[in-house]
Amino acid sequence: MTLDVFLLILRLLGIVLLYLFLMQVIISITRDLRKTAEVNLDVGELIVVDSGPSQIAPGTRFKLEPQTTIGRGPTNTIQINESFVSAEHTRMWFRKGVWYVQDAGSTNGTYLNNQPARAPLQARSGDIIQVGFLRFKLSNPLDERRK
Amino acid sequence: MARQMAAREIGRRHYRWRELWLLIVPFLILLLEMFQLPLAQYYKSSISTSTQRIPFSTSILPTVHDLIPILGLIAAVVVVHIALTIFFPKADQVIFPVVALLSGLGVLFALRNGPDLTRGPDPNLGIKQLAWVLIGLVVFLVTLFGLRSMDWLRRYKYTWAVLGLVLVGVTLAHALRTNLNSPTHDQLNFGSTISIQPSEFLKILIVVFFAAYLSENRDVIAEGSIHFGPISLPPMRQLGPLLLMLGISLLLFLGIRELGLALLIYGIFLAMLYLGSGKLSYVLGGLAVFFLLGFIGYALLGYIRQRFAAVGLDMVNWQNWNDATRNFVQNAGLQVAQGLVAISSGGILGAGFGLGHASALVPVAESDMIVSVIAEELGLTGMFALIAFYLFLIYRGYRIAIEAREPFYQLLAGGLTSIFGIQILVICGGNLKLFPLTGLPLPFLSYGGSSIIANFIIIGILLRISHNTAMEREGLA
Repeated sequence: MTLDVFLLILRLLGIVLLYLFLMQVIISITRDLRKTAEVNLDVGELIVVDSGPSQIAPGTRFKLEPQTTIGRGPTNTIQINESFVSAEHTRMWFRKGVWYVQDAGSTNGTYLNNQPARAPLQARSGDIIQVGFLRFKLSNPLDERRK
Repeated sequence: MARQMAAREIGRRHYRWRELWLLIVPFLILLLEMFQLPLAQYYKSSISTSTQRIPFSTSILPTVHDLIPILGLIAAVVVVHIALTIFFPKADQVIFPVVALLSGLGVLFALRNGPDLTRGPDPNLGIKQLAWVLIGLVVFLVTLFGLRSMDWLRRYKYTWAVLGLVLVGVTLAHALRTNLNSPTHDQLNFGSTISIQPSEFLKILIVVFFAAYLSENRDVIAEGSIHFGPISLPPMRQLGPLLLMLGISLLLFLGIRELGLALLIYGIFLAMLYLGSGKLSYVLGGLAVFFLLGFIGYALLGYIRQRFAAVGLDMVNWQNWNDATRNFVQNAGLQVAQGLVAISSGGILGAGFGLGHASALVPVAESDMIVSVIAEELGLTGMFALIAFYLFLIYRGYRIAIEAREPFYQLLAGGLTSIFGIQILVICGGNLKLFPLTGLPLPFLSYGGSSIIANFIIIGILLRISHNTAMEREGLA
C-alpha cells in the first residue's frame, strides 16, 4: 500500500464521519419536533366540584397554563361566561413547582380554602379555589408525583 | 425550602445524554483530521523531492504526541459538557456539539494554514487559535453563569449603544491616524501581541440595544402612523433612536472602508425590525433604501466599485481574457480569482485535509478566504456538510427565539441568530463571487480571537435563554 492510498482512505473516512454526524443531528432534531408536538406540557388543571348557580357540570376540567387568568372577558386563558364572574377575576401562576392564586380585583372575590386571596397565596394539589360562586379543585401533577 | 429542593431535584434529574451522544462523532472527526495532518505534510514534502510513489510504513504514522492540541480541546469540551449538565440541564443540547465540531475544525485549519501563509508563515497560528477557543469556552461558561437574569441587559440599553459607538469611535480614530490602505481597520492594538476587533463585540451590543428598544416600542412601530396611500411608515419618534444608531454605525464603517460590517449591521437592523413588527413592507422598504444607498456608494466610493468589479469577472472564459482583465486578476481581483481556482480544484471529494494549495496561494486564506481553503480540501461534500451544520445552528437559534416567553428574549435570540445567518451568507457569497468580497469572518472556522470570543458569547446567551425558557415552562424557575 502506498501513502496516497492510505490518505484516500482517511479522506473517505472523514467524509463518512461528517455525514454520520449530520445524520445524528437530523435525527435528534426530528425527535425533538415530534416530542414537542406530542407532549403539551402538563402543569395542572382545575376540576369543577361545585358549579353554584352556573350551568357548568361538576367534574369539568380546565387545563392550566403557567400563567393563567380566569374571567368573563375573551382574553382570559379560562373564559367563564357567567354574570357572577368579573371580566378579569382571578390570576394564577406557576413558579418553582408551586401554584399561586390571587384575586384580580373581582366583584365577588376569589377564595382559597375559604380564605380570601387578596394577596398571592400558595395553593397545593387538592386545595379548593373559589371563583365567585364556582368552586374548583386544583390538581398539580408535580405535587402528586412527589407524594 | 423543601419544595424548592424537590423542584431542583426534578430539574436535575436529566443527564444531557443527547449532547454526549452527539459529541462522540465530532471528537472522532477531529482526531481523524489531526491524525491525517502530519501524514499529509510528510506526503507533500516527499512528493516534491521524488517522483516515485511514496510507500506506506507504520514508522511515519503520527504518535499521540502529535494529537495533543486536539486532545486538549476535547478535554476542554468534555469539561464544559459536564458543567452544562450540572448547572444548565435544560439548555439546548444540539447547539454545543455542532459548535464544538466547527471550532475544532477552525483550530485544525489554523494549524494547517499557519506554516503556508502568503503574508508570512506563522507556525504558531494553530496553537494561538486553540488558545482563543479555550478562552472562548471559558467566556461561554461565564456568559451562561453571568446572565442569570437578563433584565440588566434590557435596562441599560442606551449604555450598551453608547459603549459600542465609543468602542468603534476609538478604533476609527486609531485607524485614521495610522493607515487607510491596510486591509483591516477595525483593530485595536494593545502592545505588540494582542489586538482586538471591537466590531465583533459591537454587533452583539447593537442586537441587545435593538432587542431592548423594539420590545418596548414594537406595538407602536408595528401599527404604523404615517400613511402614504397603501404604504404606512412607523412613527419617527419611535423609530428615531434606531435610525440614529443605524446611521452612525453605517457612517463609521463606510468611513473606515469596512463594507462587510456595514452590510452586517444593516442586515441585523432589517431582520430585527421584521422580527419585532412582523411587517414585510418595512423590510421591502428597507431593502429599497439599501439598494439606493448601494448605488450612491457605488457611484461615490472607489473601493466599493473595486469590490463589485470582481463579481463581474468571467472565470470560465479565461482563455479569452484581454490584458485589462489579466491585470485585474493579478492585482485587485487576485484574492477572489485564486479562491475560485482553489474551490474548483477541490472537486467533489476534495484534495484531502492538508493536501490543498489554497493556503499558500490565496491571500488572507486563514480568515476571509477560509471558505476556499475548506472547499478545496474537503470538497463539495465537505462544504455541503458544513453549510448544513450552520443551517441547523441557525434553525436551533430561531427555535429558541420562538419558544422564549418574553418579547425581549425572543428578539435577542432572533437577532443574535440573524448575525450568524447574515455573516455566513455574506462571506460564503463573497468567496464564491456571488457578492462583493468583504472582510467578515466565517463563524468559528476563521482565524481570529475576537471573532471566536464574540461567537461564544452569542452561543452562551442563546443557551441561557433556552435554559431559562425550559425552566419557566416547567414551573421550576
